[in-house]
Order: sequence, then C-alpha cells, then structure tokens
Amino acid sequence: MSRTAKILSSLFILFWVLTAFAPSLIAPADPLAINPSQAFQAPSSAHIFGTDESGRDVFTRVIHGAGDSLYIGLAATALGMGLALVLGTAAALAPRWLDEVILRVLEALYSVPSLLMALLIIAFTGPGVGPAIVAVGLSTAPGYARLVRSQIRTLKNSEMLEAATVLGRGTWLKVRNHLVPNALQPLLALVTLGIGQAVIWAAALSFLGLGTPPPAPEWGAMLSAGRTYLHLAWWLSFFPGLAIVVVAAGSTLIGRALGGKVKAV
Amino acid sequence: MNPLLAVENLSVSFAGQQAVDAVSFQLAAGECLALVGESGSGKSVTARSLMGLSGGTVSATKLMVCHEDALALSEPAWQKIRGNSVVMILQDALMALDPLRPVGREIEDVLKEHSSLNKSQRTAKVREILAAVELPEPERRMKQRSTQLSGGMRQRVLIAQALIGDPQIVIADEATTALDSRLAALVLEQLAALKNEGRAVLMISHDLAQVAQLADRIAVMRAGQIVETGPTEQILNHPQHEYTRTLLRAIPSGVPRFAPLSAGTPVNEPRQLAPASTDSAPALVVENLSKSFAKHPAVVEAGFVLPRGATLGLVGESGSGKTTTARLVLGLERPDTGSVTLLGDRFAPHSEAARRGLRENIGAIYQNPLGSFDPRYSVGQILTDALSAGRSKRATGYKDQVGRLLEQVELDPVLSTRNPRELSGGQRQRLAIARALAPEPKVLVLDEPVSALDVSIQATVLDLLDRLQQETGTSYLFISHDLSVIEHMSDFVAVMHRGRIVEQGPTAQVFGDPQHEYTRILMTAMPRLR
Repeated sequence: MSRTAKILSSLFILFWVLTAFAPSLIAPADPLAINPSQAFQAPSSAHIFGTDESGRDVFTRVIHGAGDSLYIGLAATALGMGLALVLGTAAALAPRWLDEVILRVLEALYSVPSLLMALLIIAFTGPGVGPAIVAVGLSTAPGYARLVRSQIRTLKNSEMLEAATVLGRGTWLKVRNHLVPNALQPLLALVTLGIGQAVIWAAALSFLGLGTPPPAPEWGAMLSAGRTYLHLAWWLSFFPGLAIVVVAAGSTLIGRALGGKVKAV
Repeated sequence: MNPLLAVENLSVSFAGQQAVDAVSFQLAAGECLALVGESGSGKSVTARSLMGLSGGTVSATKLMVCHEDALALSEPAWQKIRGNSVVMILQDALMALDPLRPVGREIEDVLKEHSSLNKSQRTAKVREILAAVELPEPERRMKQRSTQLSGGMRQRVLIAQALIGDPQIVIADEATTALDSRLAALVLEQLAALKNEGRAVLMISHDLAQVAQLADRIAVMRAGQIVETGPTEQILNHPQHEYTRTLLRAIPSGVPRFAPLSAGTPVNEPRQLAPASTDSAPALVVENLSKSFAKHPAVVEAGFVLPRGATLGLVGESGSGKTTTARLVLGLERPDTGSVTLLGDRFAPHSEAARRGLRENIGAIYQNPLGSFDPRYSVGQILTDALSAGRSKRATGYKDQVGRLLEQVELDPVLSTRNPRELSGGQRQRLAIARALAPEPKVLVLDEPVSALDVSIQATVLDLLDRLQQETGTSYLFISHDLSVIEHMSDFVAVMHRGRIVEQGPTAQVFGDPQHEYTRILMTAMPRLR
C-alpha cells in the first residue's frame, strides 16, 4: 500500500470505530426522538440527510445505526473465521479419513447458498441481533474453512518448513515462527473483505425484518422502512444505503490492498 | 554466396528499455553460429526477432531472413516463413507440445499449414520424418500423446516437428540446457546432422562447452551487445575480450580440484584431504538404503561413505533417485530399509525428537533457495533465526555474527535489511549457504546447488564452496546432474542410475576409467573443452 492509501484507510477505520462506539460525538441528537411536525423534511442545513416519517433526523439515525450494523458485521466475521480456523486447521493436520469427513461436511454446507442458510437458521431461532450474527457467521464459515485448510496444507508441505526441520527446529517453533504467521497474513485480507460482505448480509436480514427490530436505527431496517415512502422521500432509503455501500466498498478496497501486499509476498 | 541470415545493427527495446543493442551477424547455409551469453544478455530476444516474435520495438539497418526483408514483413507473411523456412526448437519439449493431441497430429499441423499434400501423403511424411530422427517405432509413437513419451522421445518429436517443413534456418534456443548430458548429446547430434544437410543452424546457449562441439563461429553476448565474435577455435583458445575469458574460466570440466573458476578468487593451495584422526568416525555412512513410493522403487540398496572434510559427488540423470537419497540422508523421508550414520551416531531411521540434537551437525542447500526462506523474513532475520536456533528473528546480540556470516559468503552486509526476493539468484544461494553454516555443521548436503545459476555465477558459488570447505573442513554430499561440476568438486564420485548406485570410487578413477556401462555412456556424452 502507498503512504496515502495507508493514511486514508486508517482515517476510514478510525471514523467508523468512532461512530460505532461514540455516535453522540458526531450526532448528539437522540436517534429515537420523534417530532411529527418535522416529518419528511428534505435534506437541508438543519437536517443534512432530511427527516423520516416520524420527524426523526436521518443523519443521526445513520450515525447511531453504525454501531449495530458494524457490530453484526464484525461479530459474524469473527465467528465465521473462528470456526473456520478450528475446522480448517483440524482438516489440514488430521489424518486423511478425518480430513475427508470434514471436507465433505464443508462441501455440503458450501453447496447451500449462504443467505438461504442464514434464513434457515433464523427460522429456528427467530429474528434478532444474536441470531443474525450466528446466521451470517455460520454461513460464511465453510468458505473460510476451505481456504484455511489449503493455506495450512500448502505451508505444511513447503520447503520453508522442511528447511526449518533440517535446521533442527521442533514442532512448536515451526508452528509459532512460520506456520501461524504465514497462514494468518493472507487471511487478514480476507477478513477485511469479509466484514464488508457481512455488513451487507446483516443489512439484508434486517431489511427482511429478520435482524435488528425497529425502531432501532439499523441500516437495513431503515432501508426497508424508507421503501414505503420512496416516491416522496428518497433520502429515507438513500442515506442508509449509502452508508452500507461506503462501509462495504471501503473494507473491500482495504482488503484488496492488503491482499495485493500479501500476493507480492 | 548470399547468407540466409543477415543482421546489421539490430536493436530491440521494450518500453524504452534496450534489450538488444546494435547486434550484427550473418549466417550462411551449412553453417552453425552460436550466440552465447548469460540470462538477460539479449540472446533469446535476438533469436525471437528473427522470427518476428520479439514483442518489442525492433529496428535495424538490415534484417534479411531467407532473402526477405524481415523489417517489412506483415504478420501473414511472417506466418508463411515461420515453421517453414525458419523454425525454432525450444527448451522444454513437454511445454511445447499439446498434451491432449497425438504427437503425429502436432507434426502434421505444419504440413497442413504449409503444403498442399493430402491426408495420406501427410501421414506418410510424418512417419518418414519420425524415422529420420530415429524415434523408435514411429508408427506406434505418432499416435501417442506427448505425456506418454519419454523425455528423449519428446525431444526427437520436437526436432521432427521443426524439420518437416524442410526449413532453411533452424534456431535452437537453449535446446540442450535443461537436459541431462545423454539427451543433450542426442540433440547436438541431430543439430549436427541438420548442419551437414546444408541448413543454417543458430544455437542460443549460456554454455560455451556445449556449443563448442557444433558451432563454426561463436558470438558472445553481454548486456544486449556482441562483445566478441569469431571462429570457435579462436574464441576458445585465444579469447580477446575479458568477458569471454571469464566465461571460459567458469567452465568447471577438467579444472583441478580447488583451482578457482572465477577471476576474483585467489588461487588456493592444492590441498590434501584433512588427515582424519584414526578414531573419529566418517562424516556420513549410508548403508543399504532403500525407499519406494507406491511400490515404485526410488532408491534401491544405496550405500556409500563420506569421509571427513571430503566431497562425495552423487551424479545421475533426473529421476535417478538422487534427490530421494538426499532426503533420506537428511531424515526427511523414512527409509524402507538401511540406515544413515552421522559422525558415528545413528541418524536414520530414528524419531525426529531423537535426532534433533544431531541436526546441528548436518545442513542442506537446495536448488531453489528462495522457497526455503520464510517470505516474511529479511536477510538479517533469516540468519538471526538460524543463529538463535529459532528463538527469535529479532534477537539482539547476533548482529556481529550475522555480519561475520555474510562476510564469510562474500555478501555485502548492507543486504541484511533486504528481503531475499530482492537478491539475485547467486546472492540467494550465498544466503542459503550462510544460513546452513550458522550452526557450524560438519556435513552439508547440497542438492543441485548451482543448477539454476548462470555459468559465471555458478563459478563464483563453486569457488565459495571450495574456500569454505578448506576453511572449515566441512564434508559435502554434492548432488548434481552436471558431470563437469561433479568432476571439479568431488574427491569421490557415486553414479546413480534407476535408484541404484552403479559405480563409485575416487573421482579420477571413475572419470578416467569408468567400469560400468552406464557410466561410460554418461562420460562420452559429456561436453569437454579441456
């Protein structure tokens, strides 16, 4: 990554961390405070993103919604990657028969479209933030797991580890010094890419009414609520949608830049 | 007579980068010219621009190919000439042939393109040409795919493919480089036959010894320019340019042990084998070693002894079991039978935990060192890791030792912050040697350590290995397919063929008076200058 790209991505991450943990710093108003007399105000200097059907400030809600949206995205990715690390590492290091079993299970899971699987899980658990995290996390895990497995397998048979063996390194040193860091580095890029994807999915579930329940300011839910008034108040859907696009595109760009760096290695 | 190839002031550049700079030469029918130089010298680009395939910006005051002005040729006109009047034999036969089509059809394609023969005439012609290049059972082989043929057969098919259009000019681009000496001899023989038939042969190679047998004239290229050109006899015996002398000196065959191959190396005193104290065990004893993979025997009952401070050269063709032997000796594969004893201690078969304590006594150098380094480590970190036995790559207090190691392998200490990717092939191999030396091993296993290097770089690395052996008394198990390297480096030689060691003994004896039939075949195929 170039210096400017580094600074820009750091600022990007800093901004969203700030909005997620301290939204009131940026938008001090109450995201739930209704004011019917102010309903459907177009974007202006008083309400830069306009107001919704209950007169709530859309800007405030978008900023306060970042917490939930990013929380679901991050938590789901962490869950998916955590599961993937366990399964993938186990498959890569296990005896052949166990590897085959894990692989078949992963393939079966992989063959079900992720969103469909998420819907299936929610059908059992009922809607909510927790179920949305579990649903998105579980449905991304198989893809990650296969990558982790191939990554570790390649490294396990690499000349690098063989050279370490010849130099007399024990298993612990080989795992700590070479296997783990080299396996994790490309995954870091993948995780960054995955967060954007998970944010979109979380929004999609909320959009369908299966994630964060209203009136909480979640981007997908806001998008869905604004849909009814699309013909007279475009800003209700536009700005939450923009936030999703910015986060997803931003994390994808950062992920790609990291991925490029890894590939160069 | 009019030359078939006339090149004057040929320049080729890629995006402003000059690859070939004002090169001039001529080639007549029945003549062989060799373009010799190292990788990046522009010899391949020169050859490719003679077929309109350079891919760069070509300019020349004159570029005549088969009496046609090549500078003015359109792409359709080039296609008429390529594969017909001018052909190219490439290095890698497996890559050059379509794995999904019978080789007969591959050859026939040329006729489809360039002749008006009907199907049965074409088939007859293909059979004829395959017989002419002495492919056994041409009738059966022409229906097989390239993957079903051996390396030697593939090489013959490739030559047949080149010849079927009855070309006037044959360009052989490193056509013998990746081949072991027997196959290389075969290709050279075929090229000689072409020359005698009155065709013009342009050889491209980095190996002076190999082209010397065939070429009438040699042009030495460096950095895009021809630095010296002349009859083969004159280039070999009275080289004018310093660079030509460097290349000639770098050829290891016939150079006595420990005599330097590169100019920078001071002349070593010819050395006797270090007088081993009578009670100390040999560096390495290998007994009755066998290993099969899926019932396919890779190594069969191999046995040899490596005395302390000496070099044992293990030589053989690709697939003869050399590398498996190295891996067995290093304890990376478990032998089916037999044992490896290192300095009197049992090394294999043994559990990894039990032999870990012995590992500091044995090190390894590979053909491709880059793959053996952790890609995240800098040069300094790699050496610190090796010196600290893996405790840390950033450990302080090893700086002096890292500097000493770099100095020992003649690498500039400023390189220690670089990543090995940024080093040249020769520098990487020096780094690999430095890392292997860090634990001060008594034995080094070197598996094709210089095979990926240009001749002059190879010379400096071989000189370095010589010097280190004299300074440290380390024993080398030196594995190579290159007989001339083995002859120069080894005190003892073991010849491997199909997993077995068919002959072994002192180097002078094995090379001077080979007993086994296979060894004799290898020796006669070896190109010699001295």
